[in-house]
Amino acid sequence: MKIKAEVLIIGGGATGVGISRDLALRGIPSVLIEKGDFASGASGRNHGLFHSGGRYAVSDPEAAHECISENKILRRIAPHCIEETDGFFISLPEEGLDYRERFLRACEKVGIQTTLLSRDEALEQEPELNPNLLSAVRVPDGAIDPFALVLGNAKDAEEHGAKILLHTEIISLILNGDKVKGAKVKDLYQGEEYFVEASYIINATGAWASQTLKLAGLPIGMALSKGSMLITNRRLTHRVINRCRPPFDGDIIVPNHTVSILGTTSIRLEEVENFEVTPHEVSLLIQETSKMIPAIQGTRLIRAYAGIRPLFQSEEKGDDRAISRGFVLMDHEKRDGIKNLVTITGGKLMTYRLMAEKTSDLICKKMGTNVPCSTHSKPLPGANRPTGLTERLKQFTTDRGEVLCDCELIQKEEVKALLEKEKLKNFQDILHRTRLAKGTCQGGFCVYRLFGLLHELRKIEGDSNKILKGFLEERWKGIRPVLWGTALKEEELIESIYKGIFNL
Amino acid sequence: MNKKTWPKSNADACIRCTTCMAVCPVSRVTPKFPGPKQAGPAAARFRRPGEPSADDWIDLCIGCHLCDMVCSSGVNVSELNLIAKAKYLDEKGRPFRDWLLTHSYLWGQLGSFFSPLINLLFKNPVIKWMGEVILKIDRRRELPGYEFLTFRQWFNRKPTKGNPKIAYFYGCYTNTNEVDVGKATVQVLEANGFEVTLPPQRCCGIAMLGNGDFKGAKKMARYNIPSLLNTIHSGSKIVFSSTSCGHMIKHQYSHLLSIPSAEEVAQHLFDVFEFLRNLKESNSLNTHFKELSLKAAYFTPCHLRALGMGIPALEILRLIPGLQIDQIEADCCGMGGTFGFKKEKYEISEEIGKDLKEAIDRLNPEMILTDCEGCRIQIRHLTGLKVLHPIQILRDALQNDG
Repeated sequence: MKIKAEVLIIGGGATGVGISRDLALRGIPSVLIEKGDFASGASGRNHGLFHSGGRYAVSDPEAAHECISENKILRRIAPHCIEETDGFFISLPEEGLDYRERFLRACEKVGIQTTLLSRDEALEQEPELNPNLLSAVRVPDGAIDPFALVLGNAKDAEEHGAKILLHTEIISLILNGDKVKGAKVKDLYQGEEYFVEASYIINATGAWASQTLKLAGLPIGMALSKGSMLITNRRLTHRVINRCRPPFDGDIIVPNHTVSILGTTSIRLEEVENFEVTPHEVSLLIQETSKMIPAIQGTRLIRAYAGIRPLFQSEEKGDDRAISRGFVLMDHEKRDGIKNLVTITGGKLMTYRLMAEKTSDLICKKMGTNVPCSTHSKPLPGANRPTGLTERLKQFTTDRGEVLCDCELIQKEEVKALLEKEKLKNFQDILHRTRLAKGTCQGGFCVYRLFGLLHELRKIEGDSNKILKGFLEERWKGIRPVLWGTALKEEELIESIYKGIFNL
Repeated sequence: MNKKTWPKSNADACIRCTTCMAVCPVSRVTPKFPGPKQAGPAAARFRRPGEPSADDWIDLCIGCHLCDMVCSSGVNVSELNLIAKAKYLDEKGRPFRDWLLTHSYLWGQLGSFFSPLINLLFKNPVIKWMGEVILKIDRRRELPGYEFLTFRQWFNRKPTKGNPKIAYFYGCYTNTNEVDVGKATVQVLEANGFEVTLPPQRCCGIAMLGNGDFKGAKKMARYNIPSLLNTIHSGSKIVFSSTSCGHMIKHQYSHLLSIPSAEEVAQHLFDVFEFLRNLKESNSLNTHFKELSLKAAYFTPCHLRALGMGIPALEILRLIPGLQIDQIEADCCGMGGTFGFKKEKYEISEEIGKDLKEAIDRLNPEMILTDCEGCRIQIRHLTGLKVLHPIQILRDALQNDG
């Protein structure tokens, strides 16, 4: 089998689908391949911070500027993916106010709006904050749902003629002189290998960018920096809480739906797969974030996870935090003499749209066309859908049928509608598209109910015991680092259900 | 209501074991209420202090506390519900009916004085129909009648006797609607050699609390606690005969309402049968019972269970020769204080009571005994049987007809 594409995009993260949409809106058809589900890499494994740019204002003004301008655009085009919470940069007595002054000046320079709040004002708005704080600076941070954002882009791209192939892995890039002819790919479900012929190829594989380029014999220097995060059982604050000091481990708390996310660490890795959160990171994150919110010491954690920041580097540097969070658009025509290959990496979820715009501009230039970008003004599909916790609770009130998930209040009908609408083959893909398994029990109770529903709809493919085991192993990986106290008690109960009742 | 006055929420401790869902009387009979786990710890993750309540089902929590009792992790589920309910009703506003139902202490005296007329009116179908249409008090409910002579009036005309002193918190319902419960309590205590005193007291406020009116309930508590504290400091213990009043003062005043000194009062406050059981354990209980040939059944009120003292009434009643007493195997009668009077909740209330009625039918007793006035109202309504407070039977067994 062979398919032809004008543009082949490799990677289904925010950048890849962003490019797919950008090109589609310009009338350029593309095929996107992704070896897993959408947002399987850094796009889906971050703290969901909707940056104001404040975090980078002092150290990386350029990245900060990109953040604040994308911040304004995304509020318009993807309001349903964003919770406009605002954020605080709080100063603690340990650091004093030196950094705050630099921070305020830097924010002003890049155009991030700030408001200085006194200790009492800050505590009134966020009563869980450390009462010893000196002051807080309010910035337009927020919380973003990365998966919804990626899904929205993908949906709109497909509606405008783009083709997206999930669970399809790249095997090799076929070079022909100064051009890449196309890619040999493999459908991981059917096991079928086939060739995608393309006029232009975009490598948007994030942390895997170097690996992908190796297929064409063009390795680049990437720094892989692991960032670990912890999820609390309940939302601790309404706003994003940052520590007002130079970026360091455990300096941010991001609200996200029903939970708060404590982040992050920065640890250099050699390998892009098989990494986990270490006990040391867990202690470090609790120790540091509890300086901002003392209640974290006693709060229940439900999961630990990590993502890899795809940082591009031209030469070795000591501290990964010092590498710019700005993105890199690499034209391999200039670098390596390969005319139709482009790599886009580095950057942040926050600037995915800008990265897509610049990449698409480059492709247009290569094609010799001149269609302008319109992603900054066209809202994503579903942009006026209500969001928020109160709304969910209200929905639960009004059309409550059988409940699948007790923690996130998800009804059977809701999941049923999704399963009937979308052709989802993979079990994890179903979980990604709902909030199932994202609450207190992390899927301990809702997942077997979901299996019941899948059987009812005759949707399950393959060996369900194997799928369930796979899920439980993945779940265990996330739970194990934070397993003590109440969580341990609950885990004993869940283990007895799966081992004792289901005989797994 | 500021943050600090709430008891610490331990919703995090919920391990989703679902035991509470199995005992909740409300979710058992209606899909409208999602059950303790979902209404409590699960919904707590969605509630935001600054945003309006979205959970109108929270008003269906009957306040039985059974969920708290069975929780393996010590989650204060019913408190989470009550706090959410208070917020919901504060925002939505309470109907005049709820105010009427929770402030009955205000016109108890008046009700007593005009009882011949009022009781007649309460039975009048036209009045009941109007009550349903205007106030949404279900007309299928019998309205409890008033007694002409209040308990307190009776007490004041009675010669005092005995030593040492014991104080009695009788509660509004005993004072104006079931005076004989108060008389029986006094007579049993006197038969055990105590001099009964009545410290100044007002309604305990449980009906207000149950309707999410924390402010009203606190007002009551702030009157009662200093008065009861005085009594304790004068060296007297206090007993109550209503397990609902008892639970309110002993548990909720300190725990949920954070009333200063309530903890101290709680330590000296006893259910009347708990007090008698203590006497029995020190061999000083008057057990000169006459034989009563009676087949009765005993029902354990939820608030008695929540007090965590076993079932002292049953232990004492079983000392009475000839009295055959069976325990009714059923949870929650469904009355829930004022809950069962409300038109929108009447059917839920009756449906909950079905189990209880069936259990009673199986036992086929001549009479039902239970410590809570709400349960008594409901059981009379469901079965038409005679329903008394166990202290009334104990008094009968102690009375020597000669």
